[in-house]
Amino acid sequence: MSPLSSQPPSKSATHTDLQANKYIPPWTSPYIIGVAGFSGSGKTTVAQKIIEQINEPWTVLLSMDNFYKPLTPEQRELAYRNERKKTQVPVYSFALHNRTEEKISIYGANVIIVEGIYSLYDPKVLALMDTKIYVDTDLDICYSRRLLRDIVERKRDIEGIIEQWEKFVKPSSVASVKPTMYNADIVIPHGSDNTKAIDMIIKHIRKQLQKKSEEHLAHLARLGRMVAPINYNNIKVLPKTNQLLGMKSIILNRETSNDDFIFYFDRIASTLISEALELVHYSPAPNDIFTPSGYRITDGVVQAQEVVAVNIIKSGDCFMRSLRKIIPEAIVGKVLIQSDSQTGEPQLHTERLPQFSPGCKVLLFDAQVISGAAATMAVKVILDHGVEESEIVLVVYLASETGLRRILNAFPNVKVVVGNLSAVEPKEGQDNDTDWWMSMRFIDARYFGTD
Amino acid sequence: MSQYENVIMLPQTNQLKCLYTIIRDRNTRRGDFIFYSDRIIRLLVEEGLNQLPVESCQIQTPLGVAYDGHKFQGKICGVSIIRAGESMEQGLRDCCRSVRLGKILIQRDEETATPKLFYVKLPEDIPERYVFLLDPLLATGGSASMAVDVLLEKGVKEERILFLNVLASPEGIEVFKKKFPKIKVITGMIDQALDEKKFVVPGLGDFGDRYYCI
Repeated sequence: MSPLSSQPPSKSATHTDLQANKYIPPWTSPYIIGVAGFSGSGKTTVAQKIIEQINEPWTVLLSMDNFYKPLTPEQRELAYRNERKKTQVPVYSFALHNRTEEKISIYGANVIIVEGIYSLYDPKVLALMDTKIYVDTDLDICYSRRLLRDIVERKRDIEGIIEQWEKFVKPSSVASVKPTMYNADIVIPHGSDNTKAIDMIIKHIRKQLQKKSEEHLAHLARLGRMVAPINYNNIKVLPKTNQLLGMKSIILNRETSNDDFIFYFDRIASTLISEALELVHYSPAPNDIFTPSGYRITDGVVQAQEVVAVNIIKSGDCFMRSLRKIIPEAIVGKVLIQSDSQTGEPQLHTERLPQFSPGCKVLLFDAQVISGAAATMAVKVILDHGVEESEIVLVVYLASETGLRRILNAFPNVKVVVGNLSAVEPKEGQDNDTDWWMSMRFIDARYFGTD
Repeated sequence: MSQYENVIMLPQTNQLKCLYTIIRDRNTRRGDFIFYSDRIIRLLVEEGLNQLPVESCQIQTPLGVAYDGHKFQGKICGVSIIRAGESMEQGLRDCCRSVRLGKILIQRDEETATPKLFYVKLPEDIPERYVFLLDPLLATGGSASMAVDVLLEKGVKEERILFLNVLASPEGIEVFKKKFPKIKVITGMIDQALDEKKFVVPGLGDFGDRYYCI
């Protein structure tokens, strides 16, 4: 375990950032729990019980076992902080006594549990942890568990195990692992059988996570309320042409058949995509071209930028058919962001994004922007994957001004192409003549027939 | 939108110029020619449809709230000038699924450049409809004028004809301005002139050949 070379980030910094005009997704400051104890003490079981109980899909268990051949300090810091980019973590196989080729990617984790005999050892790692747990199990019990596990799971022979225990594990456990108990906030006696202690820990973690989620929501709310006028230079609203007026009525009409709904949404989507493609970089053609009649054209124009699409599942998927007609070969990434049914907090469930080529234009599709929270998070995810902020174009059919303000307050260089923009504040469950849709997601449900 | 009051030209954006660069290029193969022409045609159809009126109406939203909306007014049909005009039919149907499509065959005498009418098939109720006349190139305006004469004869109102083309010549536009001032010509780009063979300069070659054969 070589110590980290750079300074650990200070936890308090995030609070000042929260005040700033900046979006900070929950995974920027993940809740980090360290679990240490002797080999065979039941650390893994404790960690797994915590994961089971908090029941959040964006929890990551980092087993220090996987770092048996230590990563470079930079990799390790990334692995812990997991702040900017996707991190690859190696997998150590005990059966092979070596790292496997397999790697786990970590991105967007809200909770990280670091589990391993030395996880409470390095002071710089300790500084990152929110809760430090030491599982204190009697060394003899650990030994017997270890024997069983090493024979059954890790396929080692018994002489080797006994020798390893006597020569290395036992002395180092007593000399180096036991003292790390003093770094812990909580010591669990009797290890994983101590359900009362584990329950208490889980309660504590839940409370902390709720606080974190409330901060995230409050921060999102602040971004929407800010008095600074939104930069309309970055927003292109489609003109109210007769066709778009007529099609809007078809989309909003409950009598509209599914056939018509899909057909007219596709038409609107085509118009929105064409408008978004105006924001792509074009450049003068490098060579003159000739028409079939032999006339020379000196002022040709060529597209100078690759266009990559990212859909917010599933409302962004409503644009796919039209996109495929306009750019058949476009690369498409997807993110699934859902709002918690109780708190409304947006949560990143999955991201499947391509390798973005340098300088590409990203069209981010979402049929409706209501609170803007999901789109804000999606923009952040795309930025974390190395795309320039000014190269992101959010393409949306119905948007509330509050939602767009939230996005643009956090990311002032993002461009927006929107079909209809409504200035009225959305109110939960309240009907309004023209803008009832601001409190209701309906486009993807009608488009895919799942309402 | 353009210097001619009878013409609506698509906004000359970089994206549009890029599409024209591709279809004008003699090295562009048919697959790409069709794909990028279709994109321009789609924009023309949307622009044409925007010339049609809408009327106010009330609709019921999914929450049961009434909403003051709009609905499309008037019936339309497409009339293509065989053969190149037929390339624009799909673009029209992409926006109006089951739109009726009439056809007119006019052949241009290659030597005199004067058009001759061979075949007409139009929907019965065409006098009540807005007509989208389809021909990708407006060169001399000779065959298109003949097609308009046929439509007027059948009882279509002049102000209800919209003439859609991908590329127009100033000469052709002048012909329409003089003969049919109430017809709106909707075009993607206006070229410099006609050459001695009455081809548009710089143009894009024979649209029908490039779309169907070459």
